[in-house]
Amino acid sequence: MDRYVRRRLGNTIVITLSIGATVLGLGWLVLILGSLVYEGLSGLSLAVFTQMTPPPGADGGLVNPIIGSLMMTVLAIAIGTPIGILAGTYMAEYGKAAMLSVVVRFINDILLSAPSIVVGLFVYEIMVAPMGHFSGWAGAVALALIVIPVVVRTTEDMLSLVPRELRESASALGLPRAHVVRYVSYRAARAGIITGVLLAIARISGETAPLLFTALNNQFFSTNLNAPISSLPVVIFQFALSPYADWQKLAWIGALIITFAVLALSIIARALSASGKSS
Amino acid sequence: MSSIAGISHTVQSPVPTVVGRGTNDAGKLAEKILIRNLNFYYGDNKALKSVNVPLFDRKVTAFIGPSGCGKSTLLRILNRIYSLYPHQRAEGDVLLDGSNILDPGQDLNLLRARVGMVFQKPTPFPMSIYENIAFGVRLFENLSRAGIDERVQSALRRAAIWDEVKDKLHANGLSLSGGQQQRLCIARTVALKPEVILLDEPCSALDPISTAKIEELIDELKDDYTIAIVTHNMQQAARVSDYTAFMYLGELVEFDTTSKMFTTPGDRRTQDYITGRFG
Repeated sequence: MDRYVRRRLGNTIVITLSIGATVLGLGWLVLILGSLVYEGLSGLSLAVFTQMTPPPGADGGLVNPIIGSLMMTVLAIAIGTPIGILAGTYMAEYGKAAMLSVVVRFINDILLSAPSIVVGLFVYEIMVAPMGHFSGWAGAVALALIVIPVVVRTTEDMLSLVPRELRESASALGLPRAHVVRYVSYRAARAGIITGVLLAIARISGETAPLLFTALNNQFFSTNLNAPISSLPVVIFQFALSPYADWQKLAWIGALIITFAVLALSIIARALSASGKSS
Repeated sequence: MSSIAGISHTVQSPVPTVVGRGTNDAGKLAEKILIRNLNFYYGDNKALKSVNVPLFDRKVTAFIGPSGCGKSTLLRILNRIYSLYPHQRAEGDVLLDGSNILDPGQDLNLLRARVGMVFQKPTPFPMSIYENIAFGVRLFENLSRAGIDERVQSALRRAAIWDEVKDKLHANGLSLSGGQQQRLCIARTVALKPEVILLDEPCSALDPISTAKIEELIDELKDDYTIAIVTHNMQQAARVSDYTAFMYLGELVEFDTTSKMFTTPGDRRTQDYITGRFG
């Protein structure tokens, strides 16, 4: 067999295997999305967004977990984003090679891959136990602890991609360091940093484990963050495990809502990073 | 007394250390910047060895030499941009109008407003053409809106780019072509009314037409500014400069008028380099 034929054959085999792997991977995803849509879409109605979680056998919706999830997510982002962006800024702009950065980077990588149930238990220890009750605040803090490493990492990475020349030419105009970071580095890395925050939102909107030990759940409508509060992932967890068909149906609907919300965020993140590259 | 002792050939010897603009009463050249016994280190690596050279007021001085000879390094000392990096340090004297800019007490931002720099790669900031210029101006001067408009316009005219951008001042600076971006960077520098402009291979990323435009521009700018240009292109050095300094392996080999350097250089190495025998 001559070299050319052999190379063609090798090429065909590798491409076939690659396509096979892709189909296998995407196949499961399509199956999951398909069953979600099949099971969830039929139950989706206005009532889902206006009525509370029902007792078994009654009509109801998911308004309390939706509101609870929204509140805790917003709060977690509000706590985690500034901390994450500031830490990432320090590491990329000021202490690139400083010992502190090396240590923080290492710990951050550990946090990034830490099982989220550990985060839940940690917050249980530092907040729930001393306060004596589960609360939305504790849930938000647990989620914030998951947001921080994601935002630190993307902020540092995105700022590191800003060309050195851009910073130098801003400094060469006599701009103080803080101005260089604020008006030049942040602007140049803006799309990437926002993408990081959106990915963090996507990440926490499906987290169940950290909320089980912190926010717990609440079957009634509540916006009191100082008390247990409902959230979509926990309701899905509870309802999906229940023996009642109508609860299971609601769990499917909740899963569908989260999935579409995350999908929408991912699409926005994609679009943003694409526009950041082309500009 | 010759203030540039140590240089093998000088134009008008002895060159007086006159401080101020233009020539003095006797018609002799005034030194805007005087570099005396300058050593520079990247960590432990000595990149400049006892460099002595003047930059005459409102003249163009070209620095030529093979890659790695230290010419960009020298330029980066003149606005202390190297100070952004902790392991780089300079020893010796760099006198700007008689005062040593290497003094630890030197205000770097004020220095950089007086000594502007344009880099090899065009580096427009990720903002509009107008903002690219206005943003630096606002930092140093308290101008009215109209005052800033006027400054932006005059800077763009000065950099010979006004006609190309006057109808799209609010378009993103990154939407311009490479040559236009580089002229925008020059405009940005000129807008701060510096006294010295440092050009670090400003045309090496540009096409011949853009290069010609920038060279014309340099010719006009030297009426008002002291200019130092680093270039790999010997024809360019011959075309745009009044004085030329040849550097080799971190040393300043020879400094003289450009016409003398390119016709009857005093040092064998200069001759070899200019005639293309090495480098």
